[in-house]
Amino acid sequence: MASTTASHATPPSLSLPPSQFARLQPHAYLLAHLSPPAASNQPSLRANGRAASQFRVTSANAGSLTHTNGSAVVRIGDTAAVCGVRAEILNTEDIASWSVSHASDEQTDDKKSKSEEGDTDSQDKEDRAHIQDLNLLVPNLSLSTGCAPGFTPGAAPSALAQSLSHQLLSLLHSTRLVQADDLRIWYQPPNLEAEALGEQMDVDSEESGNPAREIKAFWVLYIDVMIISLAGNPFDAAWASVLAALRDTKLPKAWWDDDNETILCSDDIADAKKLSLRGLPIASSFCSFEADAAAGWRSVIIPDAEEQKAQEQKQKKQGMQQRWVLADPDGYEEGLSQERACVVVDKENDGKAKTVIVKMEKHGGWALDGDDMRQLVDVSAQRWDEMKRILDQC
Amino acid sequence: MADRRRINGPPGGTRPPVFASVQQSSTGAADRARRQRQPAELRKIFLKTGLIPTASGSSYLEFEPSASLAAARSNPKSLIPPSSALKLACTVHGPKPLPRSAAFSPNLVLTTHVKYAPFAARKRKGHIRDASERDLGVHLETAIRGAIVAERWPKSGLDITITVIEAEDDRWWGDAPNSHDASWGMMNVLAGCITAASAAIADARIDCLDLVSGGVAALVADDESPSSTGAPRLMLDMDPAEHQSIVSACVVAYMPARDEITELWLKGDSSRAALEKDDERTGHEALVDGAVDAARGANTVLAEAVKESMERSIAQV
Amino acid sequence: MIGPTASLSHLHRADGSASYKCPATGYNILGAVNAPVELPGRRDALKPEEATVEVFVKPGTTTAGVGERYVEGLLRSVLGKVVLGREKGFPRRGVVLTLAIVGGENIERGDSYLTVFPALLHAGLLSMISASVPLSMTFSATLLGVTKSGDIVRDPSPAAAKAAVSLHVFAISSKNHLLLNESEGRFDFDTWELARQNAVTICQGSSKGSDGDVNMEEEKNASGNGFIRETVEDQIYSDYVYKLDSI
Repeated sequence: MASTTASHATPPSLSLPPSQFARLQPHAYLLAHLSPPAASNQPSLRANGRAASQFRVTSANAGSLTHTNGSAVVRIGDTAAVCGVRAEILNTEDIASWSVSHASDEQTDDKKSKSEEGDTDSQDKEDRAHIQDLNLLVPNLSLSTGCAPGFTPGAAPSALAQSLSHQLLSLLHSTRLVQADDLRIWYQPPNLEAEALGEQMDVDSEESGNPAREIKAFWVLYIDVMIISLAGNPFDAAWASVLAALRDTKLPKAWWDDDNETILCSDDIADAKKLSLRGLPIASSFCSFEADAAAGWRSVIIPDAEEQKAQEQKQKKQGMQQRWVLADPDGYEEGLSQERACVVVDKENDGKAKTVIVKMEKHGGWALDGDDMRQLVDVSAQRWDEMKRILDQC
Repeated sequence: MADRRRINGPPGGTRPPVFASVQQSSTGAADRARRQRQPAELRKIFLKTGLIPTASGSSYLEFEPSASLAAARSNPKSLIPPSSALKLACTVHGPKPLPRSAAFSPNLVLTTHVKYAPFAARKRKGHIRDASERDLGVHLETAIRGAIVAERWPKSGLDITITVIEAEDDRWWGDAPNSHDASWGMMNVLAGCITAASAAIADARIDCLDLVSGGVAALVADDESPSSTGAPRLMLDMDPAEHQSIVSACVVAYMPARDEITELWLKGDSSRAALEKDDERTGHEALVDGAVDAARGANTVLAEAVKESMERSIAQV
Repeated sequence: MIGPTASLSHLHRADGSASYKCPATGYNILGAVNAPVELPGRRDALKPEEATVEVFVKPGTTTAGVGERYVEGLLRSVLGKVVLGREKGFPRRGVVLTLAIVGGENIERGDSYLTVFPALLHAGLLSMISASVPLSMTFSATLLGVTKSGDIVRDPSPAAAKAAVSLHVFAISSKNHLLLNESEGRFDFDTWELARQNAVTICQGSSKGSDGDVNMEEEKNASGNGFIRETVEDQIYSDYVYKLDSI
């Protein structure tokens, strides 16, 4: 696909084949594609044949791995991520800081908040307390799969892999995607008193007589992402695979077995419960490609933001665009730009209500300003619709 | 100590879930997985090259799910999978210059690396390679080294990386480990690794003597085996989850054009085998021959995949 | 509100150093820069025409983990863009910045680094200046929290940051460019834009200030960029005080 468009747009005077030109002069090559000569009447396309705000073809497939509670494979162009979710049990006895008082306090709170109008505030706090403080979500991303040259297999995770793992965890926490209630394994001690009293039990005693429900254990979700193929933009693919895998995740029904003093699970698939996730945050990454690669350094005096903007406007009018914001950059484009932006959006009410931004990030340069970010949010909102369709199908 | 380069779970550690039905252990025997194939019938292999464009060569290999697994997938009842089907991705990077610190080598320096994904097996794997994974890497290296024309690339290195996304079981999940037990699943994984690596190397256009493919055969002593002597029978391409007791198994890396074996790994007791009446071979010979037959079968798939890779590269030019 | 305090060049072994303390968020950062230095053994990986900026972040009480790697990457991308790495003597060399979080709330596993970010950026910048690393511009950063009622709070305390609906970090250069933005929580674009304008005001002083000279002086001192400028001016004054005395 890339090679056919490439041969069109390179200037005819060039005697090198396009693929070699692309390697020798990557910056000029991409620039030639983005700003074709006005006479040629060609649209401004990237070297890979996409328009600036076009994402790569995305496909997702969930539930194909046998030994996982939930799994997904997401391919965005040539970047492929496999995510497997494994659930294990954390007994409250194994939590050093877990005290009896803690447990009973929490759960009375919980009851109250539920019986009242589902006060989201205290519930939020408790989610935070459990999921974050007890490390119930453990995402790890691995790049040492031979996914790209430069990552030595077997070496410790590279700085990139580590920061991607952190970004995944941070986003899981800040979006509160997983509900703590799904991860709790409760135990209702039998009401021995009530049994002794027999039929005397009346409505009142249900409140006072029943021993309090307690949390006996938590599910811990090990979310492992293997980037099988890396051709730029690993975060979008990794996050989409995590999201698809969590949507696919089924936790078995678990209970505290008083006789064995352990947690037992039912292997019946009818008993298993899917996670109820909060929303569907979709990540979209961008990079900004500047026409003048060395602009930043020779001129020590960088113009003021307003001046720069005016200048840019002027040049744009003359048909000389100076920079392009490229959506979903591939590996080649990532190598040519420093400025990155990432927007994670969600739409409330399953896409019918307004767009909510859950994370926004921009660093590595000063070309993108408020107006650009507004456009990126709009593009990301469109991407949300597309991704929702893809994830719903898988 | 906590790994500070990764995100760690709860410090107290976690336990895999225990299923109540397993504890009662009454239902177990009824739905144990059984081999539906003939003894000499191989599983289908899905092999595709060039899926990872950033690598010089790549391949993806998948074994056909066993009958029990396919049934469990189409009509899920239990959360415990009856067996699993091998899935792995292989990439080849190189030939590339050796790092400056490396000693001079007149030949291509081959590095192999096999890693299981944490979710690949029934038991969660660690992030750091364990002994069995390193072992697989060494076996794979021997198998491939015999096939590559290494003197064509002096002072160069070739990295072969395999990520096992789903591994084979060592035995049926409900069985308790017994004396015959060994990591039989590993042998299937190795056979898959060899075939996939060979395809990826061909995809990377590294000169080889021949395509090398992996094959597994086993001597199996199941209760219901019809042989009157009770001697173990020869099974090609066994799925450990489908057999009660594997007595011995053998994996070979085989080059059909030269009729050469580059790697042979045999485990267990192969002294007794139930063979045809007029078969004069010892159990050991029969086992190796069986593995070679399995490798020949894999080779047809491999040749097809390599042909496809060639056609693709010609179409690009 | 008590403003931040900073001091320059008090580590003698490093080429440049700075400490930065923000009483509102409670963070105290110590930064040290060595530049330009020879980076051993990795010449192939270095860019031939530019200096390589390396950033290390050390948390106060624990060893560095994945979160620190992420922050280091962000700081590197911001500072790497500001450092004039092609000046004489810099290509193929390294600029090594080490930031230690000396005081303040611990950052838990998986927490966002948003709350410390401005302090780290300021300490990093001041250390760079102290080491006389050539920069194309200075910048200042701010942390803004949006509360449930929609109010924008500047430099929220750790407790307030936890309760906030969304948190935003902006770094605005001395020339009004948006150098870095990190936002998380739940918000819409208008909120973000409002926060951004707020950040510009905080970092640059009010826009009216640039009209008159007298006005500007006063405004600048209150703004983030003004604070950076003032800190450096104070340091230069004390460095050259012997000259002033001799006149």
